[in-house]
Amino acid sequence: MTTLSVLTEQPPVLPEPPAARRRRVSWSSLIVWLVLALLIVIPVLAFVLVAVSPRLFHQGTSYFTFSNISAAFRGYTGRGILDSIWVATCVGVFAVTFATIIAWTVQRTNIYGRRFWSASMWLLLIVPTWMTTLGWIDVVQPGELGSALGFHSLFIYHMFFGASGIIFVLSTNALPFSYFVISVGLRGLGSEFEDAARVHGGGRWLTIRTVLPIIAPALLSAFVISFAEAMSDFGVAFTLGSSAHFPIATYTLFNAIYAFPANFPVAAVIAGVLILCTVPPVFLQARVMRGRSYAVLGGRAKAVRRYQFGPLGRVGVTSAVGIFMFFVLGLPLLGAITSSFTNTASFVTTSGIHWTLQSYKDVFQPLPSYTTLGPPLWTSNQLGIWVASGTLVMAYVLARRMASSSPGIGQRIADVFLLGSIAIPGIVLGVGYIFFYDQRFITSHIVDLYETMPLLIMGLIASSLPSQARLLTGPVAQIQSSLGEAARVHGATRWRAFRSTSIPLLSRALVWAWLLTFAKTISELAVAQILYQPGHEPASVVIETYLGTIFASIGSAATVITLVEMMGVIGLVLLIFRLVTPKGWRRIGEAGASL
Amino acid sequence: MSRTSTGPSRVEIKDLRKEFGTKVALNGVSLVVEPGTFTVLLGPSGSGKTTLLRCLAGIEQPTSGTIKIGDTVVFGGAKYVGPEKRNLSMVFQDYALWPHLTVRRNIAFPLLTSHFSKPERAARVDDMLERVGIAHLAERFPNELSGGEQQRVALARALSAEVGLVLFDEPLSNLDADRRDQLRIEIATLTRDAGVTAVYITHDQSEAFALADRVGVLRNGELVQYTRPEKIYRHPKSAFVARFTGISGEFEVGKVREISDKRVEVQLPFAPHMFIEATKSENSPYDTDPHLFVRAAGVTLAPLTSVDGAPGTIRDVAYNGRGYEHVVEVGEGATLTKVYATDRYERGDCVKVMFDPVSCFVMNSQKEA
Repeated sequence: MTTLSVLTEQPPVLPEPPAARRRRVSWSSLIVWLVLALLIVIPVLAFVLVAVSPRLFHQGTSYFTFSNISAAFRGYTGRGILDSIWVATCVGVFAVTFATIIAWTVQRTNIYGRRFWSASMWLLLIVPTWMTTLGWIDVVQPGELGSALGFHSLFIYHMFFGASGIIFVLSTNALPFSYFVISVGLRGLGSEFEDAARVHGGGRWLTIRTVLPIIAPALLSAFVISFAEAMSDFGVAFTLGSSAHFPIATYTLFNAIYAFPANFPVAAVIAGVLILCTVPPVFLQARVMRGRSYAVLGGRAKAVRRYQFGPLGRVGVTSAVGIFMFFVLGLPLLGAITSSFTNTASFVTTSGIHWTLQSYKDVFQPLPSYTTLGPPLWTSNQLGIWVASGTLVMAYVLARRMASSSPGIGQRIADVFLLGSIAIPGIVLGVGYIFFYDQRFITSHIVDLYETMPLLIMGLIASSLPSQARLLTGPVAQIQSSLGEAARVHGATRWRAFRSTSIPLLSRALVWAWLLTFAKTISELAVAQILYQPGHEPASVVIETYLGTIFASIGSAATVITLVEMMGVIGLVLLIFRLVTPKGWRRIGEAGASL
Repeated sequence: MSRTSTGPSRVEIKDLRKEFGTKVALNGVSLVVEPGTFTVLLGPSGSGKTTLLRCLAGIEQPTSGTIKIGDTVVFGGAKYVGPEKRNLSMVFQDYALWPHLTVRRNIAFPLLTSHFSKPERAARVDDMLERVGIAHLAERFPNELSGGEQQRVALARALSAEVGLVLFDEPLSNLDADRRDQLRIEIATLTRDAGVTAVYITHDQSEAFALADRVGVLRNGELVQYTRPEKIYRHPKSAFVARFTGISGEFEVGKVREISDKRVEVQLPFAPHMFIEATKSENSPYDTDPHLFVRAAGVTLAPLTSVDGAPGTIRDVAYNGRGYEHVVEVGEGATLTKVYATDRYERGDCVKVMFDPVSCFVMNSQKEA
């Protein structure tokens, strides 16, 4: 499940007559909680409950037992849990360290191509972990791209297929989350703090040491997000973890469900542990950040001063960032692309490299027992549109509630709940869904959603809603209440004030939230793998069936096509946004928009 | 209430109360703002002036009381009229310019719901741009403007629609002193030219006196005095009003001797041999803890050789462009500040200090916690 958290300030709140307000709040709260309960709370709680009460759901003989907990902490599953915790901690540290350096360089210096580097981070964010993992496998495996470029070594190969490789790939995956959170912090940090440190005698290093703690909440937030991302990741666990025989909790959970016979109680214990492990740091983050804000979008703009490198330094620092980004993004993509243009067992053969488009042809004319990519890709796009649109509406409603300047108990609970929900791995949601919505009392008496597209859509929305709601809370809260109030005072109705103030100011954030959800839905594997409707597999599930087989190059070709198609949709949406929206809308949030 | 011009609005606020949880922000505020007048609400932070203005605008909903704008009750009983229907406009403290709209479109916004046709709207915006002197900035975005320019846009937006009431929420607080003076004059001129009723809040007494036809002083959510600025200056209703509207010094009084209905003579501990004539406050007694409050305008300096006046020593002097402001010590721990003189007295000079009875008041101290 993706997580991106930005902080809160005061939102616009306009009054209403008391009676009407009471009525509306109670109804809207009821609806919001009902939706959250059906999407997240009940399926997850029901599943986790199996850990201690398996008989309640016909999964054992005991109504109350701790035996599954002790079983889960032994052997293979126990190792998976411990591995996940220490790997996620390392990922958090690495991601925050590199993200801070890159964010400072991009946001606070005169580096060339600032927009390009930010766009690269978006690309890194959009590319799923299983794609980068497979790209890296296509680089480091003997006979693959690394060999062709002449830097192949068994040492790197063994390092990659183990804890180091998993930490590395997960860190590159967590990097953009940390980068965006820290960037917001750095952008909101006026240069006066640096100036104050400098004029009072602080050298460059002392200045950094003095100013950095000011963005400590952003750093902590970035760590928590990276930690949660690593803990809940399924793509790397499913691809690299399984190949490297390095058990990760999400994969052991998956195995427990798909083993014969399925062991739901132990899977439920692992799910509970995954949630519990990520909740404390998430709450710590919430506590540290309470009442703080990274930046405020209001009627007055504060300029950010950038450190000016000399010509040589500027080229040097740009090259350094370029090399770094090539390493974390360009190389794995290159690995996947080169692999897709060969259909030999390895990229380099004894007779050289054999370039071919055969894998791309095979994607659409599959072998028996394999599925063509066309329909699944279409399914994925449909899912992407439904899930992104549904998530956006719900996330905006939740963001408005969370950004309230006078939050009631309901808002506070929603805030805490969504923070906690961010930590729920997609695989837990997926398993929770098949577990809960397949219960006989639901399928017989309420609705039979099992193995249907609506259930998959619900699962994917549930997976992306908490993080998107948190993501939108920042931009929503950044709009000073006076902007909406000014519209009302100058004659705008509530709807017109929303249309003329909130939508334009949030348009960029809303478009990006939609695109992010769309892209993540297309590449999502954990929920899709578990909840897809037979005969209507999404692209990510179909690609997975190729990878790890001798037809991996077909999988690589399918990966490249999916990625290109996804980028095409993103480009199209951004183009439409550019063509149909007024210039003023697009200025909001643009780097360097303020003087 | 439509957003069509009906002339300047009369505003009537009666027994207004606003609570935020357990905190009472406004308590029984009542006042009438006559049509076409410029009213300034003055008070320190937390006095409730912003809450009062926001209640008037409809952004905040009072707990009880009534608000009437023109002939329409906009709040009272179960009735609440939304801000967009109150036929008013507002200049916000942070300007609240929409960053996605150009200057022209910001100013045009209030006109979109008016009766004006499109060409009329464009002409009106052009006229406002000219009047506030920012016609050359019409196509810029707010973050491409300086603070003063942004303030002008906010002012133009507020005055562009034909509304009956314009509210000002400390509009000059974010500007430097030079720009503040200049814009204060522009606000006064343009608002009066527009013929609207204006309600302006500030914590700056000089700003209040410069702009207002009537000044209301707020303290702890209560309106403690509401009258003409001259009267507030000459007849402060309480020690708080006297202090907040600017005094040169405040001294404990030894003896008080009534000499007429309006005047008393007071004896100060640091000058026991002389009595100083002062004005009795109309509404505030001096029976428990009498203090003498002295306005800066009521103090003049004379050479030590002068027959009249209390002796004092110059402790500090500052040139203010037109003359000199002195700090004078008139007794141990008793000083007068901002004592103006056209001539410069040097630090350490001994002088005579003379008090104008009109600018000296005797009231109970009412020391604040």
